[in-house]
Amino acid sequence: MTEIKLKLKKVPEFPLEADVISPDHFAGKSVADIKKLIVYHGNEEKTLGEFFDITGKPGEIADLKITIEGNLSNVKRIGEKMTAGEIVVNGDVGMHVGNQMTGGKILVNGNTDDWAGAMLNGGELEITGNAGHYVGAAYRGFWKGMQNGVIKVHGKVGNEALTWVNGSKPAKRFPTLKCGSAGSFLGIHGHGGTIIVEGNCDRCVGADQVRGTIVVKGSVSRILPSYKKLGEVKEIELMSGEKITGNFTEYSGDHSVEKNHSKIDKKTGKISNSSNGRLYIAV
Amino acid sequence: MISYRFIAVCGTLCDDLEVDVDIKENKVVEVRNGCQIGTKKYFASNPSDHRYERPLIKENGTFKEVSWDEALNKAADILVNTKRALLYGFSSTECDAQGKGVELAEILGAILDNTASVCHGPSLLAIQDVGAPTSTLGEYKNRADLVLFWGCNPVHAHPRHLGRYSEFVRGYFRKDGRNDRYIIVVDPRNTHTAQIADLFVRVNPSEDYELINAIRAILRGTELDGKEVSGVPMEDIVALVDKLKSCKFGVIFFGMGLTQSLAHHRNIDAAICLVRELNDYTKFLLTPMRGHYNVAGANQVFSWQTGYSYSIDFSKGYPRYNPGEFSSVDVLMRDEIDASLIVASDPASNFPAASVKNLFKHPLISIEPHHTPTSVNADVILPPAIAGIECEGTAYRMDSVPLRLRKVKDAPGECLTDKEILERLIEVVKQKKESKN
Repeated sequence: MTEIKLKLKKVPEFPLEADVISPDHFAGKSVADIKKLIVYHGNEEKTLGEFFDITGKPGEIADLKITIEGNLSNVKRIGEKMTAGEIVVNGDVGMHVGNQMTGGKILVNGNTDDWAGAMLNGGELEITGNAGHYVGAAYRGFWKGMQNGVIKVHGKVGNEALTWVNGSKPAKRFPTLKCGSAGSFLGIHGHGGTIIVEGNCDRCVGADQVRGTIVVKGSVSRILPSYKKLGEVKEIELMSGEKITGNFTEYSGDHSVEKNHSKIDKKTGKISNSSNGRLYIAV
Repeated sequence: MISYRFIAVCGTLCDDLEVDVDIKENKVVEVRNGCQIGTKKYFASNPSDHRYERPLIKENGTFKEVSWDEALNKAADILVNTKRALLYGFSSTECDAQGKGVELAEILGAILDNTASVCHGPSLLAIQDVGAPTSTLGEYKNRADLVLFWGCNPVHAHPRHLGRYSEFVRGYFRKDGRNDRYIIVVDPRNTHTAQIADLFVRVNPSEDYELINAIRAILRGTELDGKEVSGVPMEDIVALVDKLKSCKFGVIFFGMGLTQSLAHHRNIDAAICLVRELNDYTKFLLTPMRGHYNVAGANQVFSWQTGYSYSIDFSKGYPRYNPGEFSSVDVLMRDEIDASLIVASDPASNFPAASVKNLFKHPLISIEPHHTPTSVNADVILPPAIAGIECEGTAYRMDSVPLRLRKVKDAPGECLTDKEILERLIEVVKQKKESKN
């Protein structure tokens, strides 16, 4: 594995748009070439070398690791659309980290701002601190948000995480969010997402969810009126086939969505799991 | 003395105002048919202590009257040296000036925003997510037999809306006016609009989403658990749903109560979905109650010129859109800008205090006819003629119908129109940019 190290010289005055910090742009380039990559600071074009000390040995994309040090809370779009390789960020990071990535891994040892992993389509994003709003969400006006991959947030995620998430059992796409706790409107307009919350959630969990599974191991401040209680369960099967055990109350919904009427499976006589959204809250 | 028929100055754009002007004194002396808000706006255009008549520059804390060339030179000096300027406002001026604002933002690589950002921006976000079944106000006037006001108080905010389009007016198919319409108001407070309604539903503050959600579920035939939702008893919600389903032509008008309470655009998202689903049973539409008279126009102009209606960033040379990232309150809260140009707006009065502090930290240019908390803190004040009173132009009504604004009288002092000011500013900025390179 080859490694390239970046160290922030000083916190930029304006947000720095550094979508070039990704293995896709670094692969096959010398350190001198990497320093010349263009970043945007306010309305000016600058080079990456003006803001970062860059050392290390470049290599092929698949085994390239980028390590970034410093307070990056004003640096946006790290790892945008990355397809392979690995990024490790030691420090807080700004908006849009790992947005639209399709492969590889990003580890943030710190907090992130909004839109972390927005419209993720593969790969893994791990955040050890808290994340801002719109984690893994669809950008404005998009009807398909996160379609594949995994986001793990050890701390709290903000509001409207995983909006318009779009998974598919036949296509084996299981977009998944695991987080410590969550804000309001978690998984709104969900179409087959898997969300596991270790702690508590704010209001309107799973609003407008057509299908998908949301597991809350803590409590929810206010459950939507359109969710219907089905009973208690001891084991939950996620879309990917993975199983979670514990004491949970099972709800179906969101029943305000047209397509989401509880369908009864003709063979088993039970409410079908695949065509309905499910919300499990720990007893 | 001379009389004209004119357009008033809020989102309703009443086009039946009669204004008497004293030509000798160049003053508005009487306004007929107007509401209190519109009438006051016309009188406010008269020369007064609160009106700027000449360009001003702040020097050592006091304003000094200067020539247009000097003021524009100073303004251009500020703008040319910025790395991230904010151009905000545009909702109380006419469309040509708004177009010039887009041009200037592109030249500067600045952030461009209008007041939708703090009023009906959430409606636009919801429309981008789930569409919007809407119509012009004339349709409502002639056809609607059920009118639902959700989180708005037109008696005070759009006083003539009720008389011209939605409540008392006689329409082609609603010959008996008020008696032919069933009026519902949903609000946390028993407002004056609620007091003249047939049904008032009192919802808990900021719990509108849950109520809309319950209405949608009941509409889909789901029996809900629980006795009440958001403070409204379940049987009342069921009765409300029956009422909504049984009308011939319904309309929802919504205001700040939905867009700026918690859940913001998600409230509108749910309301639009509700309207969409009500169309399985009857005809139903919805329309936002826009405040500034041309905020709808600002959205239209920005959309056709950049592709986006507000919160636009030109820093990469092409327009990008992301409310939350490029919207003015957010960039100010994060203190990301280094100068601002405020056109026909007063953010200091209605932005959060912390963001206003950051706004005042940096050079501020204000194109503003009156003394406002924003303009008195500006470094350069460029006094414009008031569009629709002192110059012509086009404005969009709340239902996005363009109407022509007409000129009533001349502007006092050396005031230029917003369009002329921006055109001249663009010229100076271009020259300075060329000489800089």
